[in-house]
Amino acid sequence: MPAGRVVGLVLAVLWSVVPIYWAVKTSLQTEADARSTDTQYVPLRPTLANYARLLTDDGDVPAQIRRSTLNIVVECGLATIVTVVLATLAAYAFARFRFRGRNVFFYAVLATMAFPPYTTLIPLYRIMSLFGLVNTYAGIVLVYVSGFLPLATWVLHNYFASIPQGIEEAGLIDGAGRLQVLRHLLLPLAVPGIISTALITFLFAWGQFLFPLVLSSDLSTQPLTVVIAALQGRHVVPSTLLNAAGVLAIIVPAALALVFNRYIVNGLLAGSAK
Amino acid sequence: MSSTGSAGVVEAPRGGHAGGGSTPSPARRRRHTTSAGPLPYVLVAPVIIFIAGLAFVPAVFTIVQSFFTVNALDPPTRFSGLSNFRNLLESDAIRSSAANTALYVVVGVTLSTVLGVAMAILLQRPFRGRSLVIAVLILPWALPGVVEGILWSGIFDPNAGLVTSVLGDLGLGGGQVLLGPNRVLTIVLIELVQVWQITPLSVLLVLAALQLIPDELYEAAQIDGCSRWGAIRQITLPLARPGIAVCMVQALVATLNVFDQPYVLNGAAATGATVTMQTYFVSFQNLDFGQGYALSLLITVVTLVGSLLIVKAVYRKVEL
Repeated sequence: MPAGRVVGLVLAVLWSVVPIYWAVKTSLQTEADARSTDTQYVPLRPTLANYARLLTDDGDVPAQIRRSTLNIVVECGLATIVTVVLATLAAYAFARFRFRGRNVFFYAVLATMAFPPYTTLIPLYRIMSLFGLVNTYAGIVLVYVSGFLPLATWVLHNYFASIPQGIEEAGLIDGAGRLQVLRHLLLPLAVPGIISTALITFLFAWGQFLFPLVLSSDLSTQPLTVVIAALQGRHVVPSTLLNAAGVLAIIVPAALALVFNRYIVNGLLAGSAK
Repeated sequence: MSSTGSAGVVEAPRGGHAGGGSTPSPARRRRHTTSAGPLPYVLVAPVIIFIAGLAFVPAVFTIVQSFFTVNALDPPTRFSGLSNFRNLLESDAIRSSAANTALYVVVGVTLSTVLGVAMAILLQRPFRGRSLVIAVLILPWALPGVVEGILWSGIFDPNAGLVTSVLGDLGLGGGQVLLGPNRVLTIVLIELVQVWQITPLSVLLVLAALQLIPDELYEAAQIDGCSRWGAIRQITLPLARPGIAVCMVQALVATLNVFDQPYVLNGAAATGATVTMQTYFVSFQNLDFGQGYALSLLITVVTLVGSLLIVKAVYRKVEL
């Protein structure tokens, strides 16, 4: 490999990991070390005290972090499950049936992907408040699902469309029903697409901030992202503790991205090939 | 033929809704896509209901209500023509945030496209460990924007941040407050954080386009004495145009709607406020929803028009 390319790749990798490294480093330091102008580029006296405090301390800030971690897991998990199930059913129908209005429905669903994300922020808030769903898991999950369904339907549609039809015909001739064919023949083949869709949906949900900022008003539903931003705004929270909270918030998405990167790449590319 | 008692694999006549005993017409027979009575409608119904209720209805709401006064502090809701838009255009805060947003967009789209194309070219040819490098490069895309703000506030911190420390250790000063005092610097640095987040997708989109370019083109160019830079300029870039167009559109949509990074890194300070932040302040702090609707509508229109312009200018159908 030419030297220029090696240098370029090293720079690209550094660009991607240095900010993460810096937060991990800070989270492993005492506040005095982290704030010292005699900067330590590696933690010379590493400590897990910040993590211990977040996980076990009774204080206000750790309790908020723990509760909002539970919230974000519940909200992202539910949103992912609902999105993937509904999108799978619809994508199967769009890919395998002819029915009146199919194209209109399909393009209407896809068209909403062209809306900028915050076009519907205010009306969604007002609809949710009309139905008493502000500050409930249900309200947040409904909004997430409506936002992620178009991409999920599109990605899964492309997967179903790429599966040869002979397989189902054999099943249909054997007398299986359409839903049985979906369940026993098509779904097993679509597993990679379903995993991609679930991962992308989950990661999108995990990254949400403005929607839950508006839709949840207290700790009963606020996800980790909202609580972390609020703690950053209050300058009394030690930066080492804040960085430890930040690291907690990125462990799950970072692990998913590293372990399942092939699925994520395929899903993103399938989703953008418009 | 199928146990659901539907028309099975034989397609019903056009519009043959609900398998109501319609006779299959041979001319319209299709083996692959089949009409199976109400089943497809049942399957798509949940998605359609979600999209209608929580995407189209809200979008119509936004359009209609932007012509109304909808203000919790000034009831009742009433038609007020273009006054929301007039107020927006006359507001100094909005105008300044629009200028800020324009700078975010220019910096963000340019940087993420240049970096995205450069990294994609670095990754174009297979090498050992390439998939690991790609996995690492994707990382910033997967992280929440808010937390990225936290990560980078450690980089920009005036006391012990990475930038200040490195500058200090190199004897170049250091200790400056980077975010806040200077508007342009503040915006450029905050946008750098968003570029960090959106560039991975740009890399993937361009890389996918590069993978379609046959090696023979490069071999032929080499035989003709074309330099590596020449090959990039005359083969890679032109053939990557569809990928570059999509990557610029996603960057445009992301940067026009930037919220998380400036909100976390600079708070409500006017220096780097964006139009999306103004939408939030106007609607949820001033409770002037009408004006919020109008601003959302303007952002939407600008996003759609901008996306179309990029596609027109950059996209070229490529035949290989």
